[in-house]
Amino acid sequence: MKSVNRTAGLYIGLAAVLAIGLILLAVLGPRWLATVPEEAAAPPAPEAEARKIRARLFYVDEQGTGLTGVEREVLYGEGTVEQAKRIIEAQLAAAPEPLASAIPEGTKMRTVFFTKAGEMYVDLSTELRQNHPGGTTSEILTVYTIVSALTSNLPAVTSVQILIDGKEVDTLAGHLDLRRPIEQDLKWVTN
Amino acid sequence: MLVAQSGPIAVLSREGRRTLPTLEVQNHQMVGLDDLANLFQLQIREDTAARAVTASYKNQTIVLTPDQSLVSASGRLVSLPAPLTRRGNRWLVPVEFLNRALAPVYDVKLDFRPRSRLLVVGDLRVPRITAQYDDTPSSLRVTFEITPRTAVTVTQEQNRLLLRVDADALDAALPSAPSQQGLLTAIRATEPTTIQMDLGQRFSSFRTSPVTSSGAAALVTVELLAAPIESSVSPAVPGGAPAPGAPGPAVAAGPLPTFSGSIRPTIGTIVLDPGHGGDDNGVKGPGGAVEKDVALAIARRVKGVIEGRLGMRVLLTHEGNRISADSRASIANNNKADLFISLHANGSPRPSTRGATIFTLGLDRFGEDARRQSQADRAVLPVFGGGTREIALVEWELAQAAHLDGSNAFAGIVDERLRATAGLPAVTLQRAPMRNLAGANMPAVLIELGYLSNAEEEKLLTSADFQNRVALALAEAVAAFRDHLELSPQVIPTP
Repeated sequence: MKSVNRTAGLYIGLAAVLAIGLILLAVLGPRWLATVPEEAAAPPAPEAEARKIRARLFYVDEQGTGLTGVEREVLYGEGTVEQAKRIIEAQLAAAPEPLASAIPEGTKMRTVFFTKAGEMYVDLSTELRQNHPGGTTSEILTVYTIVSALTSNLPAVTSVQILIDGKEVDTLAGHLDLRRPIEQDLKWVTN
Repeated sequence: MLVAQSGPIAVLSREGRRTLPTLEVQNHQMVGLDDLANLFQLQIREDTAARAVTASYKNQTIVLTPDQSLVSASGRLVSLPAPLTRRGNRWLVPVEFLNRALAPVYDVKLDFRPRSRLLVVGDLRVPRITAQYDDTPSSLRVTFEITPRTAVTVTQEQNRLLLRVDADALDAALPSAPSQQGLLTAIRATEPTTIQMDLGQRFSSFRTSPVTSSGAAALVTVELLAAPIESSVSPAVPGGAPAPGAPGPAVAAGPLPTFSGSIRPTIGTIVLDPGHGGDDNGVKGPGGAVEKDVALAIARRVKGVIEGRLGMRVLLTHEGNRISADSRASIANNNKADLFISLHANGSPRPSTRGATIFTLGLDRFGEDARRQSQADRAVLPVFGGGTREIALVEWELAQAAHLDGSNAFAGIVDERLRATAGLPAVTLQRAPMRNLAGANMPAVLIELGYLSNAEEEKLLTSADFQNRVALALAEAVAAFRDHLELSPQVIPTP
């Protein structure tokens, strides 16, 4: 009888530990999940994907030396990282006429990371470099298209570092220093 | 009529030194048109019907009339102090013909210096040097005025002082040395660019004062100090050391130690960095021109003009091969360059985009932190020969942070020269986190000379005429920046 009682007590103890663990996971889990690669996060619910928000996307201005911001509908994403992905996807898509995009054709998003310091790491496919036409102005417009799109629409994002094919890079086309996260610079936005 | 042989004129050019004989006719120094024809490839033609003599150079013509002092140089009338004169089968003109008639039609700069009898051909550095003396009971101050400002070095070699001038030749007018003090017995210009001061018996030592500016001239003062009078020299103690308490000799026995006072030029070395290279083409123009070739071609022209006209040392970061961003900056840093210029051609998604852009390093929050850190972190290190020197500790990858004032000042000068000399209508100044500039430990700019993605500017960027104008504009900008530094040396580095 004594051993039965001891076994029952052990089960109750284990259940209590499990319950506390589940409560801690429920409270701390989302914050932790937001700082790891997004592949680890649960896929968003289909009904959340259908919602849209208005976001400011960036395209080459008429002079070809700056960016112009345009309000467009972008799919809603739950949380900063998901929303960042939806914004980047919209920014990588072909520009609506008569706008022109500074993003090289064929560029795809691989993944996005976000740190507590407000730095967002955007990992893009190798086409970003392969298909880039070169030139300092073109490079500035490409980089600040992505930096501006994320920092303008997501207040939590203070700077953006571009990775290519999962790796840190010196530059995109030989001019801009991409070794560190880049902050928003409104002088490249002309409207 | 008195006809007497006179001293020849020395003709200085990059090719060397030649002589131009002169004759004195009725108190005028004259030169033969035949000699000028040989030296300057002139075609001399005598038109007896029109009573005129023409001297042609390429498509320019000088028309002279016998016994007339007025000459037409490419349609412009100029007056000479003596007329065109015939002697035997030769035509003679006064030496003033060189500056007044020949120089305006010649495509290389001609500068006749009557006082020194020098004819300078091309942009040789031939500063004018005069000297003034100011004596005191115990010293003689010799102040050299050097126009334009030129770097000099003063050294002692046995019983003479040598003032070496960083130039191609000297235009020196030196009055006789006052010899009553026994400090200086003679002063003269010697070949090729040295002023020699022969020292008298009373000379003990010398000191140089910091260079000061007087308009376009530099003033360099060398003060010759006299040895104390003989009674102050104590006799040597035979067979040993001087007696305790006895005064030591005022002048050490044997030759005096050599002292060198040096005035360092503010810009001695420039590193030019042609953009891209190797398998990295950079921008490709609609007509097929590639940025790496355009940048290298322009860099080579800039190097030639700066070396030829300013006499500075110019290095290229590469000769067409691929090179890393860190290597570009390290070539400049390791060669102690005073200026780093990266040359590029731009590209834009819009084919109509045009104009030049000059970039300096733009600092973000991280960079500003590094800049403040560079001002705060200083170390005091011992230096060879005794003493210490304070140096700033700067992160290698953000060495440029300490030179931004100088870089922006140079960018402003380049902007002005590209418009004025190269004729570029649209030049923009920008700051951005440029990778190639970040590690440069000296004033540094990146110049996009135009848009290769624009078909019209592609033709311009690949034309020899445009490239030459850019080279000239950048050489002028470097010279102007050097003057700017000499007048305000506190600009670099930022304190």
